[in-house]
Amino acid sequence: MASNKRWITLFIIFVIISLASGCKGERKPIEERCDYDGVKIEPLYAVYFTLQDGSEKKFCSIVCAFMSFSELKKKVKEVMVVDEISGKKISDSQAFFVESEVVTVLHNKNRIHAFGNREDAEKHLKRFNGRWNENPFR
Amino acid sequence: MILNALSITLIFIGALCALLAFWGGISSFFLYQKWRRSSTPEERTSLEDRSYLILLIMVIVLLIRLINWPLFYGTLQSFIHDIEGAMCIFGVTQVRPGLTRFLEFLKPIIFFLIGGWFILHILDRATKTSPLMGRKLLLLSLISIFVLIDSIGDILLMIEIAPGTLVSCCTTVTDISNRPTRTTPESLFGPQYAQSLKIIYFASHLLLVGMVGFVLKFKKLEKTFSWRRGIFAFLFLFAFANGILFVLSQIEVFAPAMMHLPFHHCLYCLWQYVPDSIVMYLLFILGTFSVGWGFTTELFGKIGEASDLLPNYLRKIYWFAFFFLSASLLILIIHWLAD
Repeated sequence: MASNKRWITLFIIFVIISLASGCKGERKPIEERCDYDGVKIEPLYAVYFTLQDGSEKKFCSIVCAFMSFSELKKKVKEVMVVDEISGKKISDSQAFFVESEVVTVLHNKNRIHAFGNREDAEKHLKRFNGRWNENPFR
Repeated sequence: MILNALSITLIFIGALCALLAFWGGISSFFLYQKWRRSSTPEERTSLEDRSYLILLIMVIVLLIRLINWPLFYGTLQSFIHDIEGAMCIFGVTQVRPGLTRFLEFLKPIIFFLIGGWFILHILDRATKTSPLMGRKLLLLSLISIFVLIDSIGDILLMIEIAPGTLVSCCTTVTDISNRPTRTTPESLFGPQYAQSLKIIYFASHLLLVGMVGFVLKFKKLEKTFSWRRGIFAFLFLFAFANGILFVLSQIEVFAPAMMHLPFHHCLYCLWQYVPDSIVMYLLFILGTFSVGWGFTTELFGKIGEASDLLPNYLRKIYWFAFFFLSASLLILIIHWLAD
């Protein structure tokens, strides 16, 4: 009987620990992390989606944004990329995309770059053995 | 080689365990052979005295190997910043993928074997005549082989992981649309496979906890009866199948939800972003392994004087299983509801 009581006490302690640790799940999301794989975002290579409901999704690279785009296609209202030269946000329809030897985000080996004007994109293309890339979000 | 406190500890532990496992494995095997040939109680007492040192040292080695499993992952986690392109442990495993995968597969097996052996050892020590000594020594010599391989593997891996190695991380592997963890359930349950997987996992886990609870309530556990081994074997197999379901449902359903990253399926990232999930995994592993340990104890511990003590030990083991499995399920449910 005493042994049973000991087990029940232990079980209750476990339940409390479990509840406490489980509730930690209600943590606040880290603001500057990629909505695809959770890594910290380098603003120069970020991609932003505005969804139909007005909410925003941000990604660390074009690779992560593209992988999410295939799942979120119907919900995406607007896609913004960052011009690698000026660091300004521009619409994907105005951007020039180049795939080159330069890797922007190491963990997913993103080689696709976004530029705000054609001259910058051409310069990068010639310098780093690149080629033109179609807009991945169309 | 990346040197930090954890990797140095792992190398040191590896070298120490390799040497002692080599010595302990050979010694226990020779002692086992002598134990088999001995016929008089005097001979057996003499062998018991000789085995004392070996058992004492090997108990310490095996305890260290139990800790080695979490230490291994802790060490890999500590390498993330030194490996170019790694964002979680997955990236580090890609430096030497073959060896790392082999060690990741071997470590849970060793953990299970050591745990099972420890229960037999404790059971044997509770007796006066040591009826399990022979089996204990034989199993110890077998486990030593695994420990030796694992220890050498650890050292080799630590030496071979070079800082600055460029790797691709989990995003490009675990999230591809034709990953087997997705295609297999999808082929069975259709596009809504995630929902089916979630229901099946909860049903299976609850059934396992229920069956373990039923075994605990079963009065005849105290007495020897012919069905006991069969029931324990079935529970072990069921727990194993439940373990596979757990991993599958974690990858496809629960991990993305807990991380708040619906398209990311990496369990290493889960441990990183939701550290309390490690507690849940630990409880699940201990619960599942306890079910297995119940079976191995029944299989190897039913001899001589130990048979009388066995039901009490089995009851304790299945209490642990019930306990750990319930607690891990509880954490999962709370996460699931909260997220």
